[in-house]
Amino acid sequence: MNMIWIMVRIGNGSILGPFNMWTRRKLGEFGTSIRMGVIQMQSIILAVRAMRRYLLTFLVALVPLIMALLPQAAQALPTFARQTGQNCVACHTGGQFPELTPYGRLFKMTGYTIGERTMPLSVMGVASYASVANTSKSDTADSGVSTSNSGSDFYKNGEPILATGSLFVAGKVTDNIGAFVQITHDPYAVAPNGSISGHTVADNMDIRFADRLIDEKRDLIYGVSLNNSPSVSDPWNTAAAWMQYVPVPSPGSHQFVDGTAPYPSFGTGGNIVGLTAYAYLDKTYYGELGFYGTADGAFRIFREGIDDSQITRLQGYNPYWRFAYTRDWGAHNLMIGTTGMLAKILDAATDPTDSGNFSQVRNTGIDAQYQYILDPHTFTAQLAYMQQVTNYSANSLAGTSPYFQANGTDPVAALSPSDTLNTLRLKLAYTYLAKYGGSVSLFDTSGTTSTNQQTSGYDSNGQITSQDPLGTGITSARISGNLLGTPGISGSTLEAFYLPLQNLRLGAQYTAYSKFNGASSNYDGLGRNASDNNTLFLYAWFAF
Amino acid sequence: MHKTMVMLAVAAIALVSGCSNIERSRNLANPEVSAKTLAAQVCSNCHGLDGNSTSPAFPRLAGQQVDYIVSQLNNFRDHQRIDPPGYQYMWGLSRHLSDEQIAGLADYYSKQTVRRDPTESLDAKQIATGKSIFENGLPEEAVIACSACHGPTGQGMAAFPRLALQHSDYLIKQLDIFQNTQGRPGTPMETVTHPLTGPDKAAVAAYLQAFPD
Repeated sequence: MNMIWIMVRIGNGSILGPFNMWTRRKLGEFGTSIRMGVIQMQSIILAVRAMRRYLLTFLVALVPLIMALLPQAAQALPTFARQTGQNCVACHTGGQFPELTPYGRLFKMTGYTIGERTMPLSVMGVASYASVANTSKSDTADSGVSTSNSGSDFYKNGEPILATGSLFVAGKVTDNIGAFVQITHDPYAVAPNGSISGHTVADNMDIRFADRLIDEKRDLIYGVSLNNSPSVSDPWNTAAAWMQYVPVPSPGSHQFVDGTAPYPSFGTGGNIVGLTAYAYLDKTYYGELGFYGTADGAFRIFREGIDDSQITRLQGYNPYWRFAYTRDWGAHNLMIGTTGMLAKILDAATDPTDSGNFSQVRNTGIDAQYQYILDPHTFTAQLAYMQQVTNYSANSLAGTSPYFQANGTDPVAALSPSDTLNTLRLKLAYTYLAKYGGSVSLFDTSGTTSTNQQTSGYDSNGQITSQDPLGTGITSARISGNLLGTPGISGSTLEAFYLPLQNLRLGAQYTAYSKFNGASSNYDGLGRNASDNNTLFLYAWFAF
Repeated sequence: MHKTMVMLAVAAIALVSGCSNIERSRNLANPEVSAKTLAAQVCSNCHGLDGNSTSPAFPRLAGQQVDYIVSQLNNFRDHQRIDPPGYQYMWGLSRHLSDEQIAGLADYYSKQTVRRDPTESLDAKQIATGKSIFENGLPEEAVIACSACHGPTGQGMAAFPRLALQHSDYLIKQLDIFQNTQGRPGTPMETVTHPLTGPDKAAVAAYLQAFPD
């Protein structure tokens, strides 16, 4: 039974987005976490020092790339801009894609159908450079582990890379039908066998029908969306699918950049299939209801590129809902909303015909967004909070944790039948002239402490080891290990960016962790501290 | 489950794509779409259904002069207006509008009832200063009275736009464009606005937003 448990636990990893390893990696959800973080002056100083040190290298690496792209970038625009003939700032607040303006939201809600049909292709790419504060191994006590080779734990750390590239097939199809289909290549994806290689997969996909009944009496926008991720159809950027700043590189190449810090998300992750119906009345009340299922059969396209063994499998119809109240006044607009989903998710690498392998996950969230948009300033405040309650499958609970207490003989506590995870994200952003911008974001995850979430612990010799030199069969995860079984990541991300062109954004982020996997020090039991994960992330993000 | 979802999706798409939707089209390159439809389905997103925009980033079009709207839409379409909001938002939207659609949009907005922004936050002294500039100009600076061209009630005349009840933030931005850039050529406003100070512009804009009945 231990073996079953280990397999489940590997599949689940942490309890954020637990059941789809690829999706978890894609979202950068390593983990777990804890209480509210505050911005630390020490971190800011470190960030400035680190930026000074690496900026030159980064810029030198970028120049040829930008020069190669400039001729196209100056003339060609992404597909929606071609369709409406408008500049990016019409739909993206201060040019900081993907955040939408009120007009951008209406463009989306009306099914991407404003304008005229054009060539529906766009390309997007991110080049980046990341540097983690401490890349030395945390398990130096184990034999045969080098302290200097950061190996796969920090693959491509400190090297400029082409981090990700996307192809979009998007735009107006008919007066009522439009699409947003993104296919993404990750040059450093982690394959099922653990190797790192280039991989192309179905990313955000939203195909919709929309209509608008508008006259003096009422304004009703309504439609249906066929999509592959809960909230990808949502027009507000506090939605789980859209709050993240930048399409960060996969943890296969870089760990601990912004995407690794927790974002409110749904337990299912993406690459499933759902049909949702939505309505927006009098630019005030928004409602959306839908159901999601496994992306099989005709819907394989929604998870194309992901191995059958790695997709999220759901049992039956899994309901998703979203309601929001919105208000515009002067240059201000406000949204207060709530969202949620109930899902029965197959434990990774288990038999889908056995209903005992399905865990139940309930997500409930609240979110709010305020925007002030009046040239040359934009200001955005966002808040998103998500609670996720996981009721573990009967079969996974039949197992036991492989770990012992420190004496090496007493077992740790029994598996918990359910866990709760609370994730909070706050973000403030400002742009000037749609050219210069910055943001600060605070994140905090907290939740149940349970042995289910332990990925590091004592073996039968009372040792914590990632290499298992004595052959106990019990190992701990280094770097991402969780000794306490407490989900908890707290910290902050600071960002500054510059848009020399409307479709090119150069940015620097610094993410500082005050707590990781429930502890500020020795969170993995192998000596690693939360602040070791502090990361500088420089990027160039372009679309044409 | 899969069959049901496929059927639902196909049914939804078949249901809707079979229907002609010229009355509710958002197609900006189809001359068959009426101006009224475009106003409701596209322009209303920023300017409001009746031309009374909520955000001062976008001008209030209700009650605006027909000739002025026609001239501006032509200027956008012909890329004569090169102020950033002009080209960022309006070049593309206007690029394939027909003359008939432009005339129809101008007619539609000119017939809408202009509404008033809240004025509680405006400063009475500033409004009084603005009133003086609007009615008398600044003789010592050789700034002529706004009312000379825009009418005593700020209602505009032909190619001179209506100003009364326009958003003050929008007016200040336009005065800045006239004064400091070549973004809106072909008007006497570059000369007229030349001597205006920041407080002058704010005052006259406040007065126009609060324009008394």
